Amino acid sequence: MIEIENLRKTYHMGTVEVKALDGVDLEIEKGEFLGIMGPSGSGKTTLLHMLGLLDLPTSGKIIIDGMDISLLTDYEKTMFRLYKLGYVFQDYALVPDLTVMENVSLPAMLRKDRTEDQYRNDTNDILQKIGLYDRRDHLPRELSGGQQQRVSLARAMVNKPDILFADEPCANLDTENSRIVLDLFREINESVHQTIVMVSHEDWHKDYFHRIVRLRDGKIVSDGINGSKAS
Amino acid sequence: MGKKELKVAFLLALRSLQRGGRSSVILTILIVGMCFTNMIFLPAMFNGIGQSITKQVVDYEVGNVLVSPQSGDQYVTDLGATLDLINGMPGVDRATPHYSKGATLKYRQRVLGVSVRAISPNDEKYVSPLYTKMIGGSYLGDGDTGEVIIGKPVAGDASIRQEDEFQPSLGGVRVGDSITIEYGNGYTKDYRVKGIYYTGWSQADSTVYVTWTDMEQVEGKPLDFADYITVKAKPGYSEKFIKDELQQYGVSQKVQTTSDLLSKSLGRALQSFAIINTVSLIVSIIITTVVLFIVITIKTLNSRKQIGILKAIGVDKEVIMHNYGFQVIILAVLGIILGIIIASMLAVYMAYHPIVTPEWSATLYITPMDLVINSLILFVAAIIAGYVPAWQVSREDIQTAMRA
Repeated sequence: MIEIENLRKTYHMGTVEVKALDGVDLEIEKGEFLGIMGPSGSGKTTLLHMLGLLDLPTSGKIIIDGMDISLLTDYEKTMFRLYKLGYVFQDYALVPDLTVMENVSLPAMLRKDRTEDQYRNDTNDILQKIGLYDRRDHLPRELSGGQQQRVSLARAMVNKPDILFADEPCANLDTENSRIVLDLFREINESVHQTIVMVSHEDWHKDYFHRIVRLRDGKIVSDGINGSKAS
Repeated sequence: MGKKELKVAFLLALRSLQRGGRSSVILTILIVGMCFTNMIFLPAMFNGIGQSITKQVVDYEVGNVLVSPQSGDQYVTDLGATLDLINGMPGVDRATPHYSKGATLKYRQRVLGVSVRAISPNDEKYVSPLYTKMIGGSYLGDGDTGEVIIGKPVAGDASIRQEDEFQPSLGGVRVGDSITIEYGNGYTKDYRVKGIYYTGWSQADSTVYVTWTDMEQVEGKPLDFADYITVKAKPGYSEKFIKDELQQYGVSQKVQTTSDLLSKSLGRALQSFAIINTVSLIVSIIITTVVLFIVITIKTLNSRKQIGILKAIGVDKEVIMHNYGFQVIILAVLGIILGIIIASMLAVYMAYHPIVTPEWSATLYITPMDLVINSLILFVAAIIAGYVPAWQVSREDIQTAMRA
C-alpha cells in the first residue's frame, strides 16, 4: 500500500517559484491499476518520480508498505528501487549497447537472492510472454518503438516488483502498439495482482485503469473508481 | 561491492567498448600504446648506450678489474710476480698488462700522432675480443716483432681526400704495407701492418698495437712494469669478489672494478640521462592520464541520461563507477600490451640496426623489470584518470542525470 501525505514539490527557476505538486494526499491499494491523468504541466510525472524514488519532495511524506521513504539513505533507496519497484519510461530508456536479453536481465543480475539460472529463466519467461524471445540477441536500435517499450516493460517486470510505475509508456507509440503494451500491463495486473501506477494523458487509456486520479496545477482535482473498466 | 555487482559493472564496460564507438576505442588504445612506448624507449636507449659503453670499456680498456699504480707511482712494478699472483687467484680468468707510448706514425706523405699500446697477444685474447675484430690480415702472435695491428680509422681510406676526412688517418694503409713509427724517446722503426681491426670503440680503434717483445726493443730493456693490468673474471665471479680477493691477497696496487671507474667517469652523464628519463616518463604519464581522463569524461557526459536510467532501475552508483573504471582498465591493458609489442619490435629491429656513432654503438636495452614497472605506473595513472570522472558523474542525482 502507498500512502501520500500532503506532498509538495517546488522548483525554483531563477526567481520564479513553480509549484509542481501542491499538497497531494493519496492512498493506493495493493493490486490497484491506477491511472494518473491530467494536462501537460499538471504534475503527473513529478508525482510519479516522487513515488519511484527518483526525486525528493520539498515536503510531505510517502509511505510504501509502512516504510517512510524519506528516511532511507541513498543506497537504501537504490536497493528499494531494485527489489520493490519497477519503472517504465516514456522513451523506453534501454541501454543501447546491451542486447534485449541483457537489458531485461540487468536488474535481476544484481539481486542477491537470484542465482544465474533463476534470472536467466525469469528473463526467458518474460521475453516469451512479451513475444520478443526470438529477438533476444538484438540491440534496441534494431527494434521498433513498440518492441522497445515491451522490452522496457519486461525489464521493469523481471524482478517481479511489488509496484510498477509507468510514465506515459505509450507516448511514442501508435495506437496498435499502445494497445499491445496496455494489454500487457492489464494482464500483469490481473494475473499477479501487481500494483500499477501509470501516468497518461490519452483519454482512451482510462478504459484500462481501475481508478483514475486527475491532477491540475499540482493538485488532485478528481479521484474515482473507473466505471467503464475494460473487460 | 559483491561479485554480482562487479560482474554487472564488467558486462556494462565490455559491451560499451564492444558496441560503442570502435574508432575512439582503437585511437585510445593507440595513444596509450604510444605513451607506453615513449616511456620505455628513451630510458631503454640510454640504458643501451650505457651498456654499450660499459661493454666496450670492459672489452677494450680495463677488463672487469683494473690494477693500476698507486697515486704517486708511474707504473705497476714487479710485473711478473704481480701477474703470477693475480693469475693464480680463484675467479680470475686472465690478467694481462698494457703499456702505452706516444708515437708518430708516418706513411707516405701522412704523419699521425697516436698511442702505441704494447700487449701480450695470447693473454689479451682471454681479456679482450680485439682478436675477433680483424677486418683485414691477422691478429698479433706473442713472438711477433716488426709487426703491428692498426685500427681502421688509423689506416684510413685511400678514396677519401685528406681534407674530407672525419678524423686524421694514414690515408689508406693496407695489410702488408710498411709504416714508420717514431716513438717519444726518439726510437724509430719500420713495421709491417699485420692486420687492421675495427671495434666500434673509438679509443681502441685509434690505437696501434705491438707485441710486448717489440716494446722491450723500443725501451731497450726488459719491461717488468706496465701502465696497468687488466683482469678478466671467470663467469659467475663478480667484479667485487675479484677486487676484494686481490686486495686480500696483497696486491699492493690500486684495484678498481669497472663499476668503480664508470661511476666516476660516466656518473654525470648517467645523472643527465636519469633527468631526461624522468622528464620523459612524467610527460608520458601526464599525456596518458589526460587522454584517458578526457575519453572517460566525454563518455560519462554523453551517457549521463543512461547513468540516470541505470540508477533509476536500481543499479548502485558504485556499479556505474566501476563500469567506467573497468573500461579504462581494459583500454589501459590493451594499450600497454600494444606498447610492449611496439617496444619489443623496436628492440629487435635495433638489435640488427644499432645506432652507431664514432664513440659508441647502441641498441635498446629493455629488461622485463622495465616493462613491469612502466606497466604498473601507466596502469595506476589510467585508473586514476578513469575513476575520477566516473566518480563525479555517479554522484549526480537521478533527475539531473536523466534531464541531461
